[in-house]
Amino acid sequence: MIDVHLYGKLRRFAPGGSPKSDSVVSVPHREGDTVGSVVARLGIPDADLGANLFVDGHYADRHSPVPDGARLGLFPDDMQLLYKWYFQPKGKGS
Amino acid sequence: MERILRVNMTDRTASFEPMPEAYRNRAGRWLTSSIVHDEVPPTCHPLGPNNKVVFSPGIVTGTASPTSSRISVGGKSPLTGGIKESNAGTGWGRRLARLGIRAIVVEGQPKEEGLWLLKVNAKGATFEPADAWCGKRLSEVYPTLFARFGGKEEVDVCAIGAAGEFCMAAAGVCFNDQEGRPSRYAGRGGLGAVLGSKGLKAIVVVESGAKEIPLADKALFDQGRKKLGAALGEHAITKPKGALNSYGTAVLVNILNEAGGLPTRNFREGRFEGAAKIAGEAIFAGNKERTGAEVYNHACSPGCVIRCSNTWHRPGGGEHTSCIEYESDWAFGADCGIDDLDDIAELNLLCNEYGLDTIETGGTLAVAADGGVWRFGDGKRAIELLHEIGRGTPLGRILGNGAVVTGRAFGVARVPHVKGQNMPAYEPRAVKGIGMTYAVSTMGADHTSGYTIAPEILGVSGKLDPLNPDKAELARNFQYATAFIDTTGHCLFIAFAILDIASGFEGTVEECNGVLGTKWTMNDVARIGKEVLDLERDFNRRAGFTALDDRLPEFMRSEPLPPHNTVWDIADRELDRVFAS
Repeated sequence: MIDVHLYGKLRRFAPGGSPKSDSVVSVPHREGDTVGSVVARLGIPDADLGANLFVDGHYADRHSPVPDGARLGLFPDDMQLLYKWYFQPKGKGS
Repeated sequence: MERILRVNMTDRTASFEPMPEAYRNRAGRWLTSSIVHDEVPPTCHPLGPNNKVVFSPGIVTGTASPTSSRISVGGKSPLTGGIKESNAGTGWGRRLARLGIRAIVVEGQPKEEGLWLLKVNAKGATFEPADAWCGKRLSEVYPTLFARFGGKEEVDVCAIGAAGEFCMAAAGVCFNDQEGRPSRYAGRGGLGAVLGSKGLKAIVVVESGAKEIPLADKALFDQGRKKLGAALGEHAITKPKGALNSYGTAVLVNILNEAGGLPTRNFREGRFEGAAKIAGEAIFAGNKERTGAEVYNHACSPGCVIRCSNTWHRPGGGEHTSCIEYESDWAFGADCGIDDLDDIAELNLLCNEYGLDTIETGGTLAVAADGGVWRFGDGKRAIELLHEIGRGTPLGRILGNGAVVTGRAFGVARVPHVKGQNMPAYEPRAVKGIGMTYAVSTMGADHTSGYTIAPEILGVSGKLDPLNPDKAELARNFQYATAFIDTTGHCLFIAFAILDIASGFEGTVEECNGVLGTKWTMNDVARIGKEVLDLERDFNRRAGFTALDDRLPEFMRSEPLPPHNTVWDIADRELDRVFAS
């Protein structure tokens, strides 16, 4: 399973999501999963995604692999407030 | 004619001087750090007669340039023992600029007890006794000063609170926002205590019949400000209803928590289980519930288009406090283990009332919890401790002097500081680039000194190569760019937009040329930033600082930080490379 933590307008993809608590949706892991494939499976429009994406607390991008048991954190495009230079994306281009 | 107002507290005289030729193009942080470097003996006692407090609005402050109302405050810090520059967004500096005053230098020390107020207007500066405002909450002081000197339309106020009167090292310098709230602080480093040591309670700037700032090249200035304005209006972070306007800086609570870099319970963990309850989203949702409407953020100072300053409302809808910044939210929230926004709001409000830096104060409470003074998470007890500071009780005197003093008083080895200043809200073991900034900053642990590029995070991308000169160069250049922005009078948050959108950065340089008549290019940004940093580093060197002060605390090298379970492992020689020439 993958626990997907959703923030901002993405919380609507977690049942019962509230801005004052953790909005988490669990999805079964599939072989070869990436941030992009999980996002697509949840039906989240690509345009809603920002650049602050995390796999197990590591800064990531759409191509980053998502292992079974991972915690995925997704912030929308209107809620990115970390300089992109803070981090080097994990598994970029992989 | 631009001039400097020199205020001597020994004999209570104030007089104007022409701007020295050497300082002709200097303003903001460049000017405050220059005057402190040139006039303050680096080995002086920060609370003695030889220290000075210098105020300077930035190069474009007072003009039509967007988001440019920052006032820079400098001096020798009683918290770090080194040079200090701290800046705030307020109309106060804008009025100063429009009076043609490039700097106020407060010096000397009265022999007798007593507090004074300085009134500055176009004619000059005059003193009045201020003892009537001694020990009062700043929410009582400010309205009476506005009423007395002409109202918010004509007056802005700079003052210290009880903490400054007690000469506490966590005391900030308070300015009003556009609504007259005593809420905008040059908070860090204890410069409020330096004003207190000089018996200067408040500086009221009265300016009516606004005079335009003279422009050397109006067309170039207009071109520059429009390019900057376009970049701010377009960027996802700074645009209207963008991240800062909607959620304020506190949106970072959830982001840093997700990254495992939100310092929790005195830097013991990198994630706080109560993060979602205190984050910017919870503030937005709570305000909507309590007021029945969506509350977007407001501008802290005139001319700001980013508008990131928030308010928190009480049950029933009345305003509780403004502004719960990310750093304040974190300091009293995650770092103190408190997950109740009403308690955090009260702690924030009390800092505004007593004139305290929220970062140092929250960090100090966390150290005090480790010292057994109170229990993490007990918000009501934390509020009582803030009142101890405001009353100046013996316990309050210890807490009001910051995390290092408190750690020493209660036998706590875990004090997350650099050069005596408590760390802000980014865990260096998880966000190592900011750790480099904390370590080498002239200011002590300071997130605003330069958003250093993280060369790697948590070892994922491979170990840092200590011999790679690029990393040090990038870290250095970010600090230079920051020092330049602090010189222009712009809020540091323009960096989000101008570092992404090249025309915005060009516009910022063009505006400065339009005001000053200079021919600066992008290359001058690094040159000016370097000059500022060189002055500050030279002051610190002469005050006794060495490379050994550019280090993070010992426990961060040995204690792994959950959830990533990493330690601070950047080699000392890599830190020393940042400013090695």
